[in-house]
Amino acid sequence: MPTTQENWNPGKLEDRHPEVSYEEKERLFLEVKNDPRYEDFLYGCFECGICVSACPSARFYDYSPRVIAQAMAREDIVRVYDIISEDIWNCAQCFSCVRCPRQNNPGGLVTLLREVAVNNGLQETKDVLQGYSRVIYKVMLKGNQVSPDMLQPDFFPDWGPWVGQFSANMPVWRKAIPVDTLRGVTDAAWKTDRKTLLELYTIWFETGNMDIIKEIDEGLYDLLADVMQEELEEG
Amino acid sequence: MSSNKVLVIGGGPAGLEAARSAAELGGEVILIEKRERLGGTPDRENYAKLTHHWRDASEAMGELASAVTGNANIEVKYSTEVKGMSGSAGNFTVEVEAGGKAESINAGAIIIATGFQHFDPGRATQYYNYYSFPDVITLTDLEKMLKEHNVVRPSNGQPPKKVAFIQCVGSRDRQLGNEYCSKVCCGIASKQAIEIREQLPDSKVMIFYIDMRMYGYWENEIYWPAQEKHKVNYVKGVISEVLKKGDQLLIRGEDTTMSRPMEVTMDMVVLSVGMEPSAGTRAIAQTLGVQQNKYGFIEAGGTGGLDPAATSVPGIFVAGAAAGPSDLDDSISEAGLAAARAVASIRKAMAAA
Repeated sequence: MPTTQENWNPGKLEDRHPEVSYEEKERLFLEVKNDPRYEDFLYGCFECGICVSACPSARFYDYSPRVIAQAMAREDIVRVYDIISEDIWNCAQCFSCVRCPRQNNPGGLVTLLREVAVNNGLQETKDVLQGYSRVIYKVMLKGNQVSPDMLQPDFFPDWGPWVGQFSANMPVWRKAIPVDTLRGVTDAAWKTDRKTLLELYTIWFETGNMDIIKEIDEGLYDLLADVMQEELEEG
Repeated sequence: MSSNKVLVIGGGPAGLEAARSAAELGGEVILIEKRERLGGTPDRENYAKLTHHWRDASEAMGELASAVTGNANIEVKYSTEVKGMSGSAGNFTVEVEAGGKAESINAGAIIIATGFQHFDPGRATQYYNYYSFPDVITLTDLEKMLKEHNVVRPSNGQPPKKVAFIQCVGSRDRQLGNEYCSKVCCGIASKQAIEIREQLPDSKVMIFYIDMRMYGYWENEIYWPAQEKHKVNYVKGVISEVLKKGDQLLIRGEDTTMSRPMEVTMDMVVLSVGMEPSAGTRAIAQTLGVQQNKYGFIEAGGTGGLDPAATSVPGIFVAGAAAGPSDLDDSISEAGLAAARAVASIRKAMAAA
């Protein structure tokens, strides 16, 4: 354990995840730290706050790219676990934070943390990503983006309480908009041909994306894998 | 009768450089030093490495000293202290005691280079327990250990695993009367933190600070490498007290940027003590009748503030930390200026006579 900061704050810190052992937290931390990109993403931190100032998410959530850079630099294992289990999903990955005078890349750290969170199938990660299973399904299986018809309250809780109201009255809202504008686009954004789809399926399997889905949402994986494998076999 | 001699008081970096510069400008120089050795505080306090190119301090001081001892136009008087002074610019008579014997020196100009002393942490307003806990040490104590490559906890002789530096001890404190910043402690602490990490690679080193003042190239030469290469942790927050916890030290403070109180155990705590006027500086101000500022340093700057070598008495100049906290670069630059002013002042006096 010589590379870590144990008991950084033994007396005062409220450990939000006492159910997870210190060794497990340290293992995840080291997985992030040992990523070859890490040393280009984090030099040293002034704790100056320019990244927070530039961060859109920081305006709306209890989220601070500074705290992420700082906790990583200080090797504050316990804090990093809080971050990996929660904070990282408040980042929009817009990389406004790269204006750092030390040339740190807090958004890049979030990328690494997310990868570790997903690859390790953390429960909090599963919970956070559940709302997106519909998006993943659509993108990966249909080769298409989310269409207006998919705007249903249960699927996008993070879009706020208005989604329910909009969805309930969708036909009325559409009547208020000139018909031509919406012709043919409410259920799909474009048509994906079969050859493209089969290529996409191959890519999902070959690049390890399907393994990631399996780690995070096994039900979704089974659903996707069944269809994809069948289609691929048919050729 | 006017004198063409420049009297330099103090054989530290500023005094040595003032003597050398004055001699190179054609002055006749007498340098007096209280100790039997030249080199000043860096020599007396066992400085190991300078922030300048990581140079060996005794070697660098040796170079400054030999430039003086090898100069035919400079007379060095050791074990010599000033006892009294009369006269004015161009014609001072300075009474000294040299090796127990009274002597009188005639000089046209005087340069004060009597330096500073490290703050005594027994006076700190926080509860750092320097005199109670052996593992609470100062920058100067650590510098000696680093020089000997023997960084150990005084309590048990074992290498420390966790070391904390506490900044601004004796500086920036209204309650103490030392409201000023001592300028060098941020750089020195960071330099020493790097050296600890080099000598004890398994150690964890933290620096607790109010502001890190790493001006100029100290930023890229010391501060960034300390953080980035040597993984020294910087935490913004003053430590309020050092307590005992088992055979370790418990330090209390606030981790301000994380917005939470903190208590951390340490094996060794290093107090980054600042600068105060040396006893010699306080005494010489009285003896020569030059004005001191509210902190006891020699008041410098002249009437417009832009003459850093000027004191309140014409013909008497000041260089280095006698005028206030100063690093080596500043001390040596000021010494060159004081030398130029002193030689010019003598020429003016002689031309008038």
